[in-house]
Amino acid sequence: MNFTRRSLKQVAAVFSLSSALAAPVIAEDIVWARYGDIDSLDPHRATSTLSLQVWSLVYDTLLAMDADGNPVPHIAKSWSSNDAGTEYTFSLEAGVLCHDGTPLDANDVKYTIDAAFNEATPSLTKGSWGPITAAEIIDPLTIKLTLDSPFVAMVPFLADSFSSIICDTNGDGFGTTTAIGSGPWKLKSWTKGDRLVFEKNADYTNFGKLADNPGAPYEDGLIITVVPEPQARLAALKTNEVHIAEPPFDDVPMIKKSGELEIVVAENTGQNVFWEFAIHRPPFNDVRARLAVAHATDAATAINLIYGDLSIPENCPISRGVFGNDQDFCAKYRPAYDPEKAKALLAELGYSMDQPLETAMLVWTGGNRQKLGEVFQAQLAEVGIKATIEIMDIGSLNARVRQENENKEGTKGSMDMMTWSWYDPDILFALWHTPGAYRGYTSPELDAILDETRILTDPDARKVKVQEAMAYLLEKAIHVPLYTPGWEWVFAVSPNVEGFKVAPFVYPIFSDIKLGG
Amino acid sequence: MGITVGMSAHSAPAGFWRRLFLSPNGVVGLMIVLGLIFCAIFAEILAPHNPAKMGTGGRFLPPSGDFPLGTDEFGRDMLSRILYGSRITLLIGAVAVGISMTVGMLVGMLAAFHRGWLEMILMRSTDVLFSFTETLIALSFVAVLGPSLQNAVIAVGVAGIPFYARTCYSAALVETSKPYFEASISAGAGPGRLLFFHLMPNVLPTMIVVATLGVSTAILAAAGLSFLGLGAQPPTSEWGYMLAGSRDYINRAPWLMTIPGLAIAITVLGFNLLGDGLRTSLDPVERK
Amino acid sequence: MWRFLGTRLAMGFLTIWVTTVLVTLLIHAVPGDPVQIMYAQSQGTTPEQIEQVRRSLGLDQPIPIQYLMYMERLFQGDLGVTIRGGQPVLEVIVQRLPNTLMLAVTAMFIAVLIGVPMGFLAAYREGTLVDIGLMFLSIAGISMPHFWLGLMLLFFFALELGWLPVSGNGGLNLILPALTLGLSNAAIFARLTRSSMIDVMSQDFVQTAFAKGLPKALVLRRHVMRAGLLPVVTMMGLQFAFMMGGAIVVENIFSWNGVGRMAVEAIFQRDYPIIQGFILTFSLVVVIVAIVIDALYAVLDPRIRRA
Repeated sequence: MNFTRRSLKQVAAVFSLSSALAAPVIAEDIVWARYGDIDSLDPHRATSTLSLQVWSLVYDTLLAMDADGNPVPHIAKSWSSNDAGTEYTFSLEAGVLCHDGTPLDANDVKYTIDAAFNEATPSLTKGSWGPITAAEIIDPLTIKLTLDSPFVAMVPFLADSFSSIICDTNGDGFGTTTAIGSGPWKLKSWTKGDRLVFEKNADYTNFGKLADNPGAPYEDGLIITVVPEPQARLAALKTNEVHIAEPPFDDVPMIKKSGELEIVVAENTGQNVFWEFAIHRPPFNDVRARLAVAHATDAATAINLIYGDLSIPENCPISRGVFGNDQDFCAKYRPAYDPEKAKALLAELGYSMDQPLETAMLVWTGGNRQKLGEVFQAQLAEVGIKATIEIMDIGSLNARVRQENENKEGTKGSMDMMTWSWYDPDILFALWHTPGAYRGYTSPELDAILDETRILTDPDARKVKVQEAMAYLLEKAIHVPLYTPGWEWVFAVSPNVEGFKVAPFVYPIFSDIKLGG
Repeated sequence: MGITVGMSAHSAPAGFWRRLFLSPNGVVGLMIVLGLIFCAIFAEILAPHNPAKMGTGGRFLPPSGDFPLGTDEFGRDMLSRILYGSRITLLIGAVAVGISMTVGMLVGMLAAFHRGWLEMILMRSTDVLFSFTETLIALSFVAVLGPSLQNAVIAVGVAGIPFYARTCYSAALVETSKPYFEASISAGAGPGRLLFFHLMPNVLPTMIVVATLGVSTAILAAAGLSFLGLGAQPPTSEWGYMLAGSRDYINRAPWLMTIPGLAIAITVLGFNLLGDGLRTSLDPVERK
Repeated sequence: MWRFLGTRLAMGFLTIWVTTVLVTLLIHAVPGDPVQIMYAQSQGTTPEQIEQVRRSLGLDQPIPIQYLMYMERLFQGDLGVTIRGGQPVLEVIVQRLPNTLMLAVTAMFIAVLIGVPMGFLAAYREGTLVDIGLMFLSIAGISMPHFWLGLMLLFFFALELGWLPVSGNGGLNLILPALTLGLSNAAIFARLTRSSMIDVMSQDFVQTAFAKGLPKALVLRRHVMRAGLLPVVTMMGLQFAFMMGGAIVVENIFSWNGVGRMAVEAIFQRDYPIIQGFILTFSLVVVIVAIVIDALYAVLDPRIRRA
């Protein structure tokens, strides 16, 4: 028996030695492991954060965001608009090159906008560009956009990776195997479900992005891999197979204490996690039912249990870091944690512990949201609400929520823990102005307020209207904010990585990274 | 996986119980299964706490005095959850096997009885169903109807049909060729009587052995689906689901992973041993 | 023998045909409007576009016509495009199928290499402690949920001991998942080999050989093994299907980039084209392997060969 154990150890030793030898010793690539893969390389074909983050590496946008989330020049070195806010002219920097060597100029901008507004296959986020009717090339470095009506949210949009500039030399296989942009990282290959491999763009100039590095990334290569299991990611971090990854939440305190990995928590994520309801049918067509749920929810305790101090309760429908956010203002209007009040409201509606209010609770996978859902489920059960958790991925959740909203017949209630991240209060328009992203609510009163938020150019005036909208949503428990941030905002970083940072709205930056020995 | 059982009409071979109790496998298996049934029936009395209540104890308490099996990530008592889980496990096994066996036996008996074109259609259909394998059938069901324990159990039940159909078919073929059967036909017994009064009781012992072994397969399959998130949903204390949830805490609370896994393994082992014991004790020909 | 093979081939075709029918029907079994579900997540889609998609998928046609459309596309190698990202399903599957096959085949090797000798040893030493011990081990092996075994292996070998990498798709990465699948199935082979060998050994021709005074080892090798291994070959065909099924769970535990993981993701994403493609591929692989194994069996079994 002894010799078998010994020989087993020898075999294992040989294996690990050979694997160590097999790994390259010089010029490492930066390796970032995430729980899932992108949906598409085409910025018009997906909406997941996983995809967004990659687009910000491959492409450039006309503008960029500073540390506070405000738009600043990037590829567009300046811009002006007419008084009415219906014409915008952008001047582009000269000498910007696409990854295939062709120049990036007004032609590519027009190409991108035409693709977004293409009749047959428009961009999934077409609405966020605004009512653009024409994109006119004045000269190779100047482009003029004409809008049907004013849309102040267009400017921040041009700093977000949904508006990435796609080079017009992209052809077959664009979005699935190739992606030519002008960003700091050039795509080498995409093995679906497994990894994306990039090499640095040696010709890159950083005009306005948050990296300190004014030019091309310091390291030669970047690999983004898919590792769904949190424990597997942690193990890979410890063995230096991976440099950056989201650790298991429950192990973060231990990691911080041992100091073996650095924990980076993104700020100004603009992420908002909230309850919303199928309002067009019972029980949630009655505001008291919605308020009952809101009063029964103790978000602070729940997130403390699941996320520790990594996440905080959020009072406003748009999160910290976004224009218009004001915790004190929102605290006045939002339903507070008050289980007794919840029970009273339920009693008014005819429910009791023996006859609970039944609802489906839709939650999307990942980020420990399943566990969080269980905590909320238990909280709701205490006041007499029986919630059945249904887990699905974010795309299915979006589809299902819309289905539930459009279904006026169903007998069982439906509520969901929706998550949205946006850099501008215009998200409220997208969500709640008729018809709404999920057909979730219809109110001419709210519509009028939201309409104004789109056209007021004076920030103070706009803020007032935004807050009016928020107060409306909060009082009627249409949008019940829970916490922020909520997904993919925590990074565990290997000690030999220097210079890793995360820009607002959770865009990690790799240009500054230097890998130590 | 053919099981040959030679038996005379209407009675188990003499010494069945004696042989069962002599076979070590059978005894151990029986004890485990009885223990499980006991836990399931008396879960309310045996469980010290409410399995769904969060914060019963501190989070991640290792097994110790107050909480013999420790607590989970929400502070729920593991012992109570395992006990209630045994009820769900048994139900899963019973319902899934119930479906498989009922439909399977009908198909098998009809095929053996009628012969001819009906036999061919039925058996070929079960062959086709068989190559889909359990997991695929289960996946398809869940893909269409959505994840839920109910759907998972039905899927596992349906997926098991070919196996029971085939076994029943072989056993029924043997029975129908026996003299007593032919005698009944010439005596003028109608098809209903033949099927349910003569054929079924004689095929039943074999099927019970198969079913006992099948319960373990069903439990494993359903637990596997729950593990993937396609079966039991929170806050059910189903063992496969508990196992899935324990993945995040391997480092911090390894007992959350070991205990549900052991529970499944022991249960399945119990049914397998019992089935084995039943099989050897039903088979009068001892091989030496 | 040819008739035997012919029947098997015919059954194979039948199975695949039934699969295509079921796969076409799958989308209709979904409660609610499938196209709405598939495209509702993209806010920019207008009702006209949904109608267009419905027409292009043929979902507004009666079901038999839909089936013909599906078969037509199938023969052209078009399995549709994924809802997420619009990639050709065939491409997605072809990229990941080799990984699953590699896993299943390696696991099969492990199962046979461990299980058969075990069963043989138990049969050889039938009735002794060795036999009882080995058989108990194999029952325990069958009882253990393979996803639990996988987690335990992951925990011990990768996390605790750090001997093997935790995830990825290289050669070393294959060891743990293949072991998980292989060990769970080895037990089945062990039991089968044992009972098959015992069967053969008790038969007349073997007893005669012993009576003639031939050395036990020679008898075993020449007579018993060949006959005893035949059921094992058949079992390999059956077990391969189960291995493919088991791979689905194992791939998820070890982040192995095969079609099993793809299928589970697709279910959560309600990406029906992928699910349909997966079901078809799975059946195809299982049927092909079954036919190959049956052919092997026909060659090996003299009774069938002469028929």
